Amino acid sequence: MLSGYPEAYLKERPRWMSLDAVADFFYFGFRNLRKYLSIVLLDMGAIGILWLLMNYVIIRLSTGRIGYALVPWWVFGLGVVEAAALWESFGRSFGHRVARVELRRTDGGEPTATQRILHWLLWHVSVLPIFPLLFIPSPHERVSGLELRPFTMEGRTPKPWWRTSTGIYVAWLTGVALLAAISVTVSWEDLVRLFTKAGTTAKFWRSFFSPDTSIILKTIRDLIVTVFMAMTATSFAVLVAVPLSFLAARNLMRGVVGRLIYTVIRGMMSIIRSIEPVVWAIFFLVWVRVDLTPFAGVLALFVHSVSDLTKLYAERLESIDPGLIEAIAATGANRLQILRYAVIPQIVNPYISFTLYRWDINIRMATVVGVVGGGGIGQALFFYLTGNLWRQAGTVMLFIIALVWAIDYLSARLRAKLA
Amino acid sequence: MAEPYLVVEHLTKVYERGHVVALKDVSFEVQKGEFLVIIGLSGSGKSTLLRCINRLIEPTKGRIFIDGVEITKLSPRQMRKFRRKIGMIFQHFNLIKRATVMTNVLTGRLGYNPTWMTLLGIFPRSDRELALKNLERVGLLEKAYVRADELSGGQQQRVGIARALMQEPELLLADEPVSALDPATSHSVMQYIEQMNREDGVTVLASLHFLSLARRYGTRIIALKDGELVFDGAPEEIDDRKFKEIYGEEAEEVEIR
Repeated sequence: MLSGYPEAYLKERPRWMSLDAVADFFYFGFRNLRKYLSIVLLDMGAIGILWLLMNYVIIRLSTGRIGYALVPWWVFGLGVVEAAALWESFGRSFGHRVARVELRRTDGGEPTATQRILHWLLWHVSVLPIFPLLFIPSPHERVSGLELRPFTMEGRTPKPWWRTSTGIYVAWLTGVALLAAISVTVSWEDLVRLFTKAGTTAKFWRSFFSPDTSIILKTIRDLIVTVFMAMTATSFAVLVAVPLSFLAARNLMRGVVGRLIYTVIRGMMSIIRSIEPVVWAIFFLVWVRVDLTPFAGVLALFVHSVSDLTKLYAERLESIDPGLIEAIAATGANRLQILRYAVIPQIVNPYISFTLYRWDINIRMATVVGVVGGGGIGQALFFYLTGNLWRQAGTVMLFIIALVWAIDYLSARLRAKLA
Repeated sequence: MAEPYLVVEHLTKVYERGHVVALKDVSFEVQKGEFLVIIGLSGSGKSTLLRCINRLIEPTKGRIFIDGVEITKLSPRQMRKFRRKIGMIFQHFNLIKRATVMTNVLTGRLGYNPTWMTLLGIFPRSDRELALKNLERVGLLEKAYVRADELSGGQQQRVGIARALMQEPELLLADEPVSALDPATSHSVMQYIEQMNREDGVTVLASLHFLSLARRYGTRIIALKDGELVFDGAPEEIDDRKFKEIYGEEAEEVEIR
């Protein structure tokens, strides 16, 4: 009857004004609220993005300028809200699909037109002020006799995607987004140049295939420095990331405090990770620059590796088999013993494998970090390129290709062994 | 009658603010040396019941006494110590897959040895000898230094039994010990459990899927349905009507030999 309530709660209602009743009201109310709001926000977002992109393409193609607003902002806002209300009352909206629900009568039947209209009208009273959603069922559902039920294909034949509103929406959005993307990134002049000016790069290719043998020794030295940069950064990153990963694993961090630590660490890590190592390198160059030493580059790789490894390690921790933990706990083992005999055996090999993978990435990254002055072979490459020393640059690139290929191969082989 | 070894009083377990009730007011007693089989459909609360008895899952309400000790009152530290007397084996064996059989069996002694030693992987000679003895008992002596994941399902469960034997338990909890095994292997594993029950006097609580296995090995059967105790009696007392009551109208009894 009333979805969302536990059976016991219906059978024996808590006395009104008891603390339990108030707690339950908010607990179930907020769950209800979250359910509706996530659907409504998804629908409004979906409609809003499509509308903005369409505006963009129309303005761009008709006038060549960049613009997003064919209508005033308040018309846009109201339109999005209204479109969401209509979509959710008269069809199965994008949000409904994501949440795997559909609008049905409380007895499970197909809604009638009257019910849908009632649902749509009262949607404005119920969903827009948000507060009424705390009640179960919410006012618009109570009056219209409709409710969101888990979607099931039982007893129905599937519709092809082009007959569903979400299918049409996604196809339309993809088309418009592609048009917009092309109009931003490609112009007619670019295309003409691409097909007529290939000859200008001939000098580059010629020098690439006539290496300068006199710089081979120096290049190899730079290459070794690059490998060392990656090794130093990876090793210290492991030391920091291993303990951090335990604090960033959802299944180990329970309770309010645990969840807080988990959220803070995960958040910090994703912020650090979203800044590219090159940017970190510039940051550290300003901070610790000591005359073109690779230290700044190492720091940049280290910081980025810590955040990446912490995430990889933590995800592995989250997927360990809880059965083994139970089994070891059942023998009377304490926390440390459980860690040693149930957790660590499950994570050692994946951890080594992730570390190798990261080391391999760090070698490639080290060449890029070097370009901004972070040391190693990247710095040499940058020096030759800016000095128009094409032959030397070509030589360095040949060495980088050989190194990256070799490390790639080596780490893939090692990781296959560990799996 | 003597003082019962295990007493479960009004045991209730509720998950998620009253959303899921796994056990509803379950009470029963077990005498020392009994082989008690728990039957019921998947999700009827068998696993939860077993895990409440060694408090891998904390009960919401109710009391549990083992050997006169109210274990629901013990502190986590005291409980860990008490668990040494309670062996447990699992449906999916729950062995350390990458470690040797020997290491797996030795983990049964974790509760008896100082933490620092076990962290370094050191176990006393007496424990190692006991491990070999127990492995011989389950017929896996020559597999002692083989990795656990190289063994077959039946062999892995026997390692699980050896691990439980290492605890020198008074009580064995077996959570669907043979559900992942084929019929022939099932009997061999059940016979090792029966041997523990008869020869070492270990009280056994085993949840089983097949009624035929329950009848063959159990000295007494209890049945759970939706978290409630619906039957408590001798194996012979389960007739066709009782069976349908426990498993639902459409169930057919399947024989496993």
